[in-house]
Amino acid sequence: MLETGAGDFAWDSATTIATAVAAGRVSASHIVEATLARIRERDPLLNSFTAVTEHRAFGRARVLDAARAKGEKLPPLAGVPFAVKNLFDITGLPTLAGSKINRDLPPATRDAALIERLEAAGAILVGALNMGEYAYDFTGENIHDGPSRNPHDLNRMSGGSSGGSGSAVGGGLVPLALGSDTNGSIRVPSSLCGIFGLKPTYGRLTRARTFPFVASLDHLGPFARTARDLTLAYDAMQGFDANDLACADRSAEPVAPHLDKGAGGLRIAVAGGYFKGKTAEAVAAVDCVASALGANRDIDIPQAERARSAAFIITASEGASLHLDRLRTRAKDYDPAVRDRLIAGAMTQASLVVKAQKFRRWYREEVLKLFAEVDAILAPATPCTAPLIGQQTFMLGDVELPVRANLGLYTQPISFIGLPVVAVPVPLAPLPIAVQIIAAPWREDVALRIAHALEAQGVVAAPRPAL
Amino acid sequence: MKHKAGRKTKSARTKRPRPARATAKTRPKNSIDAFVTASAQALGLTFDPAWHDSIAFNLRLILRHAALVDEFVLPDDAEPAPVFHA
Repeated sequence: MLETGAGDFAWDSATTIATAVAAGRVSASHIVEATLARIRERDPLLNSFTAVTEHRAFGRARVLDAARAKGEKLPPLAGVPFAVKNLFDITGLPTLAGSKINRDLPPATRDAALIERLEAAGAILVGALNMGEYAYDFTGENIHDGPSRNPHDLNRMSGGSSGGSGSAVGGGLVPLALGSDTNGSIRVPSSLCGIFGLKPTYGRLTRARTFPFVASLDHLGPFARTARDLTLAYDAMQGFDANDLACADRSAEPVAPHLDKGAGGLRIAVAGGYFKGKTAEAVAAVDCVASALGANRDIDIPQAERARSAAFIITASEGASLHLDRLRTRAKDYDPAVRDRLIAGAMTQASLVVKAQKFRRWYREEVLKLFAEVDAILAPATPCTAPLIGQQTFMLGDVELPVRANLGLYTQPISFIGLPVVAVPVPLAPLPIAVQIIAAPWREDVALRIAHALEAQGVVAAPRPAL
Repeated sequence: MKHKAGRKTKSARTKRPRPARATAKTRPKNSIDAFVTASAQALGLTFDPAWHDSIAFNLRLILRHAALVDEFVLPDDAEPAPVFHA
């Protein structure tokens, strides 16, 4: 078995690693060793990890290596290191959800369902990742753990709230990570860190044993540096789970067998109106992807701005409801920027929240009509490339907007009705930015096929940072 | 400006008088400040007075978004999105 000089697989894909481990060209133990060395070396710069599960990772690697030695066929993600946003339960650790308060929780007694599913597919958990407090964030900053940093410029934001996930994958620490997305928290870090992210259909992936934020809008999903890796992880995590009441009772619909079908024959349009980019980078990214796909038609997503407002209200109110007891007893232990939003959310009148939920139903029906005409819609993932850490505002056209609340301007109206989206990174210089490929409910396959086709054309790619 | 849902249902066709409401723009600043204080009391939330302005700022922001949703007229039989399954 190739051990000495096997390389650290720092920028190799999950697919390459799993193939090498399954073929016996490298051991899972070597992969873990190289990964942990990389985390030790680079994470002091990136600040993406809040815990490293070294002992557990070596234990899993030894099991895989022993199975390989006995001639057993290894599962599809054998030896692939991955890490999870620290709102996923990890046995033996308190589930921080980016907070100070949760450090007092007892250690989790069972892993989150998606960790179990990835490990059943052979992947190896190496740690927990930094995130915005209680996921109410688009910046990747955290007052307790410090900001996770953008691998392409350490002075810039990773994006939130799954900032550590974006930073760790974009920075080459792991090829695969998991995060959550309530209003854009997978797609925003994907965009700022220049990686691929999948926010599946609402109800597709189980959220069992993760710390919630807004039950009506919470999704979980993977980050990776290739569309194929995203697909392999997604396929491994599908399937009904009665432990998440929002999880749809659907059979797994694996995408990997269809990934190479290409984008030919798919009807693709560009979101107009509200989604028209107002910065040079957002415009360039969408133009680049649209041109490669021959998407020369604009489509209007009706009432998108109002949809974002409705998502804003539901988030404020449901988030506040989740935290009401803690706000009464431990308000001083919150990040002030999160605390004051939550307290204001608690004061939002129920009649307005119900109205937002009624509007959500109406909007869903209107948007679904568009998918009779098109198979996918393109839109910017973020209004701009990564802002500087600590930056309070940015310019959108002539308007100056607060960063924290507005990086999700283009993601919120989409997750609001649970549509599946793949964020694909366009490697612009000096900083990447992503485009959302939005599909009809349960058609992750369409978005992933398009992402893979764009990658094959060289139009989208995760740029390797000079770390 | 009032916006109407495009779908024409029986109730959507029924003209209903809509009383004038205070919007985020027309609501006086001190009414929000008073509301923050009263709501905190009603909810059993005690906080440092130094936080008041930031909470009021965030509440105004929420209400600005709420106004955009509130002005959109939906039929009486519009169902909210979450559905409880017994």
